Amino acid sequence: MKKSLEKLLNKPLPVDPFMPQRAVITDIEELAPDHKKFSFAFCDESVNDSWNHIPGQFVMLTVPGAGEIPISICSSPTRKGTVELTVRKVGRKTEVLHRLKPGDYVAIRGPYGNGFPVGIMEGHNVLIIAGGLGIAPLRSLIWYILDRRHRFKEVYILYGTRSYEYVLYKEELKRLRERNDLKCLYTLDKFETEEDRRWADRKGLLTELIPMVELEPSETFVAVCGPPVAYRFIGKELLKHGYPESQIFVSLERKMECGIGKCGHCQIGYKFACIDGPVFPLWDTKNLPEMI
Amino acid sequence: MDFHIERAKVLPKSNLAKFLEGLKNLSTLIAPVKKGDKFIFSEIEKVSDVAVNYTRTILPPKKFLVPYRRERFSYSTDTLQFNKEFKVRDQIIFGVHSCDLHGISILDSVYLKENPDPRYLEIRKRTVLIGISCMPDEFCFCLSTGTAFPDGANWDLFLTDIGADYFVTIGSPKGDEIVLKLRKLFKDIEKKDLYLYKESTSKKKKAFKLEKLPDLERISQLIELEYDSEVWKEGSERCLGCGTCTNVCPTCFCYTSVDVPTLDGKKVKRIEFTTSCQYPYYSLVAGGHYFKPDRASRFKHRYYHKFVGYPYQIEKLGCVGCGRCSAECPAGISIVETINRLRGIDEKELREATEQASSR
Repeated sequence: MKKSLEKLLNKPLPVDPFMPQRAVITDIEELAPDHKKFSFAFCDESVNDSWNHIPGQFVMLTVPGAGEIPISICSSPTRKGTVELTVRKVGRKTEVLHRLKPGDYVAIRGPYGNGFPVGIMEGHNVLIIAGGLGIAPLRSLIWYILDRRHRFKEVYILYGTRSYEYVLYKEELKRLRERNDLKCLYTLDKFETEEDRRWADRKGLLTELIPMVELEPSETFVAVCGPPVAYRFIGKELLKHGYPESQIFVSLERKMECGIGKCGHCQIGYKFACIDGPVFPLWDTKNLPEMI
Repeated sequence: MDFHIERAKVLPKSNLAKFLEGLKNLSTLIAPVKKGDKFIFSEIEKVSDVAVNYTRTILPPKKFLVPYRRERFSYSTDTLQFNKEFKVRDQIIFGVHSCDLHGISILDSVYLKENPDPRYLEIRKRTVLIGISCMPDEFCFCLSTGTAFPDGANWDLFLTDIGADYFVTIGSPKGDEIVLKLRKLFKDIEKKDLYLYKESTSKKKKAFKLEKLPDLERISQLIELEYDSEVWKEGSERCLGCGTCTNVCPTCFCYTSVDVPTLDGKKVKRIEFTTSCQYPYYSLVAGGHYFKPDRASRFKHRYYHKFVGYPYQIEKLGCVGCGRCSAECPAGISIVETINRLRGIDEKELREATEQASSR
């Protein structure tokens, strides 16, 4: 009984995991109505140099005066020097963030979470399925894979959103479609304008794109991110087509206050979305009730 | 000075007041005192206020380690330089029962195992825990949770009632130091004292009504198997969603963090406060989606976290059997009763009754 106490207490005071690093907004890009991409650089050069993350990880972003929010990193660790976050104006804190200008300060701590298992994905096909804002964490994965293209086999990107107006990273996704080392399939809910028709391969739901994918399911890793309601349908469709549930990875959203397993809000079943997630294999639905 | 090695000492009950006075002179003394019909842990001004024979306090001593409202940082919106805002003092918490010591051990694991929280570590380093033995009442079920005795918990001194004296076991160098400082008040142990000490465990065990204790064997699997049970829904129909059960729990650690600016918006304080999984906003994310939308899912979450979540997260059950949640619940919901119903105690009686009827 004495030992367990000493093991815990006789440690030097650790680096404060709650202490955020000051960063400056270097660029803001308006991607769609209420969606902005923020680029940040840390004020401390050494943090900029040592920064490294895994696609799918997130940061806790302090919006001055408003509070901390967990946001997925949308830039790839293969492109150093800046951290990019795509944020939708959806609540009190994001509304304050959307009012900030380049040159304004914020504070960031992280990166947190497990991220996508890029190491074990290597040598396999990768199928990326993004719904709406779900493209943000997956953009990190897309660029990570494309910058190490030779390490992966076939790559597919499926992306669905409301209308052309709401397509994020329009230029990037257009250029991706022109590349011949990956296949892109885009869908839209609405087909109203000429632009909508020109953009989409198909009108309808994201799940309708899955049968169009020509990959050997057992050789494929799937990365999914989208609105909470979408996972159930996408998961079902993937299983129907024979993708193993241990190779389907979903990135989940939960309320978070700390990002390091202390505040308890993000519990999914017995796991914490912040330290055990936010990326879970679909297999975990068996373990974790109410995961999707 | 002789090299000091002690395993245990005896403190005559007549010296207790002097002992408390001695502790008070060493640092801030916190101990149980009577408040109305109940007891609370409170800072002690007069040692005569200390209530040694209490069963349970309203709130666990957790409030002196993780205050219910605490400041983390302050910063100004211009510079965004963060300053630590926590003040730490030396404190001695006296009269902690075994269940609460185990509760503090669980908090130790939560806050210190991974990503150690510097504030908790600092507070914990400067806190001395002095436990005291107790007798169970009708709400206690620490025998089921394995926390009836302080083995495996992190404490400094533990006083066991052996009649005319307290048998004082020493659990840490800090505890040893206190005994050394107040050594005039203690006696050396004799064979009889050790015998009485050993006997005290069976004495406490006998005070439990065994048939009233919940069976917690295989409780993790049981709750996972009974995840869709009607018991959750029935319990939640009585539940008011007030969050009392989690606020009085010695192991609940969930908190919410908010940034509170001054009126001019220049200075901001980051404040953390204890929250409850029984509140709807607990699972609310931006955009208005509730991951735990109904009371039944929140009601179930508390049990699920205690008996499935904690074992995965810190390898201990999240319940120490203190009985506070049952004793304080305004709707009279008892954790023991819920577990018994999950285990199918009613069903068993029903089945036996029908078997008897059919055999006749």
